[in-house]
Amino acid sequence: MVLGDREAEESDWVENLWHAIPAPKARVEVTDPDRTADALDRGLTELAHGQLRGPAETSDHDHGAAAGHGEQPEADEHAEHGGHEADGDHGGHDMHTGHETHDEHDGHDMHRAHDGHDMHGGDEAHGDHDMHGGHDPHGGHHGHAGHDMGGLVDGLPMADRADDRDGLRLDRLHVPLGPALADWPAGLILRMALQGDVVQEVTVETVAVPPSPRPPSWGFRAFWDEPWLRTAAGERVSKGDAARRLCAAHLDSLGRFFAVAGWADMAARTRYVRDRALAGADAAELTPLVRPLIRRAGRSWTLRRLTTGLGVLRTGQARHAGVTGPALVADGDAHSRMLMWLDAVGRSAAACDETETLDLDGAEAIGPRGRVDGPVPPSQALLDVLPGLLEGTEFACARIIVASLDPDPDELAHVPAAGMLHG
Amino acid sequence: MQTSDWQPVLVLLVLVVAGVVLLHALSITVRAVREPLHTGPFSGGLEPREHPLSRFHVRWYPVTMVFLAFDMEMLFMYPWTKVVSAVGTTAVVEMFLFLGVLLAGVGYAWREGAFRWS
Amino acid sequence: MAERTPLWAVFVLPALLVAVALVTAGVDAVLAAGARTGRPASLREVAVRAAGPGREVLRQLVQQPRRTRASDVPLARIGAALLPVAAVLAAVVLPLGFRSVSDLPDGIVWFNAMEALAWAAVWLAGWGPNSTLSLIGGYRFLAQGLAYELPHMLAITTAALGAESLRVGEVVDAQAGLWFAVWMPAAFGIYLLSAMAMAFWGPFDQPAGQDVAGGAAAELSGADRVLFLGGRWLLLVVAAAFSVPLFLGGGHGPLLPGWAWTVLKTAAVLAFLVWARRRIPTLRMERYLELAWVVLTPLAIAQALVVAVVVLNR
Repeated sequence: MVLGDREAEESDWVENLWHAIPAPKARVEVTDPDRTADALDRGLTELAHGQLRGPAETSDHDHGAAAGHGEQPEADEHAEHGGHEADGDHGGHDMHTGHETHDEHDGHDMHRAHDGHDMHGGDEAHGDHDMHGGHDPHGGHHGHAGHDMGGLVDGLPMADRADDRDGLRLDRLHVPLGPALADWPAGLILRMALQGDVVQEVTVETVAVPPSPRPPSWGFRAFWDEPWLRTAAGERVSKGDAARRLCAAHLDSLGRFFAVAGWADMAARTRYVRDRALAGADAAELTPLVRPLIRRAGRSWTLRRLTTGLGVLRTGQARHAGVTGPALVADGDAHSRMLMWLDAVGRSAAACDETETLDLDGAEAIGPRGRVDGPVPPSQALLDVLPGLLEGTEFACARIIVASLDPDPDELAHVPAAGMLHG
Repeated sequence: MQTSDWQPVLVLLVLVVAGVVLLHALSITVRAVREPLHTGPFSGGLEPREHPLSRFHVRWYPVTMVFLAFDMEMLFMYPWTKVVSAVGTTAVVEMFLFLGVLLAGVGYAWREGAFRWS
Repeated sequence: MAERTPLWAVFVLPALLVAVALVTAGVDAVLAAGARTGRPASLREVAVRAAGPGREVLRQLVQQPRRTRASDVPLARIGAALLPVAAVLAAVVLPLGFRSVSDLPDGIVWFNAMEALAWAAVWLAGWGPNSTLSLIGGYRFLAQGLAYELPHMLAITTAALGAESLRVGEVVDAQAGLWFAVWMPAAFGIYLLSAMAMAFWGPFDQPAGQDVAGGAAAELSGADRVLFLGGRWLLLVVAAAFSVPLFLGGGHGPLLPGWAWTVLKTAAVLAFLVWARRRIPTLRMERYLELAWVVLTPLAIAQALVVAVVVLNR
């Protein structure tokens, strides 16, 4: 399923992923949040009845008015959320054929679509087993190794050597990670130089988003920052709405964090609670849902042992880089950042019924990833510190560090600084 | 006795291998598109710059050495279990002296940081 | 000593193992779904969730297979197939009640040898597809092997020492009175840890971890994927079942017949492992290995020493 704009759909990596998914498959493109359910149904029908040999494509992008739908996030969420669940059921029954339509991990992206929040260029939703990508343009040339230019095997060179951090000269691989990876900030690309499973060098990129012809509406801007962005623009937003969004944003980040740490059950539960929060559950419902999560994660001795010492970011360094969110306050490693999130989730879940007006000078002025009214989006600062923290770490640790900072590439999408960022 | 003990094992091996082959055959007959999809390795949608097969940086290399020592020791320990009470105290003393020496090696490797990497 | 079973048992054993593995995977799937949304609404929903692993098998078989560029297909294929083959062959010495398919004189060594084939299997499956993420997964299992294997071998030797025999049937006989788990608790605990580790499952699933998009299994598809991931469940079932004759008295128990006790005890061990998986995040080897060598190995040796002294004075 591709969510998003026409232009973005045509980018390379989406094509790559599409080609790399084995048949039977169907492609559904959703640009209009109101017609999500329709499009999914059509995709399913196609999978069930369509010819299996050719790629079946469904597209749904004849709606110039899509932008407007982001204006009523609450209403949309309700309606579309229901649609999503219904489709989940569908997927359950059609398991043999429909693997692309039903996915638990990307609930996040579903919400974006529902909000007309489709600017970051399209997301692939897939089950665990379909996370395959990368299309080889020379795919048909198997067995012709050696016929290519010198040193190339099947069109690609073998790894070259370079000095490593331990003073050895070892093979070095250049691997791009992302943009579509399970439990990965959607749209983030890390170009890594790996030696074995040690990260040697990292360059941060985000998926390039073509300038949108449509007027920027709130739904278009970073979904998780919406209440703060609206306030900054002079609209009236209640503290409760901001707290709800903050709670859901942190739960979303925590879901990724737990999933990367290999705690599938906690990740699933966290995401369920996130969905409840976004669906408008009140404080009385959310608090008992949130409390066991906080207790379990906060008390887990193994999780502490496994995540302490990873990606230590001291306050001084963080402030220097312009980090303003929980990562600044945490003043420490991945585990302390997780504790900050847990703490904020607990507080904001209790506060999500407040009706006072949000005020950007108050304590609630900081968005999920930092101050939204700063010179650069908060995620930019997180991306800036990322390469320094990742270099020399092991692959698994690197994933945990990325998840513990959880930059949101959406925040960068509509500022001039977006695009290539070198760290 | 010796041969008949292994006979079922052999039959089972043949049976399981046949099962594996059958499963592959089944998969070939029922799959939707028979010819495989040729594609690059997955890492999120973009292509790597080199072939991933490489001389892997095995940072736990020193551990393999310690492991090898203990693995050899296990060769002695298996038969040893059968004769402990027959040989008596000497068997126990000798085996655990040996293990003690190896443990001293583990202690040294630990102090040298062989069990920590990354 | 265990009695010999007729040759037809050879045909029953793999079917039985696959059935147990499917049931365990089904229970695990139900619990995983329950972790998300709480209790299932109806019995039908439970059934749908429990059938998930079975549906997944069918889906993999029906789906078009994938081949990565310049991959070594036979290598990956051998690796994937090796896992279930090793698991089933290891199960030869498993007694159901007091009868096993073949009670080899060195049954414990045989089990150990078969289970160690997983090292090769996972590495081959990881190397074959020519993909960075699966390569990382394959190497992770070697590091994991270095961590779990030694305490594991010491633990199973301790059980053999308690019975002064390497024949599984005799180990069971030695527990007619007191179970080994009672007076060798450390060895039993270490064994349970390594049972999960050898099947790279639960808290030890790093070689096939979520963070590397499936690791060694990332690029496997079709029958290969079914064999690899199914073999992993088989290995877990066999490893859990082997703890019953080693530490939990095999078929010994009051009232019920021997086979029923074996089934009950195996189910209990599997249930414990499936439960334990929900409580613990994935253990990364660069943190666990130190624990394994500095704490678990000396602990296993101390346990062996205690047992050796008891055996001497028996």
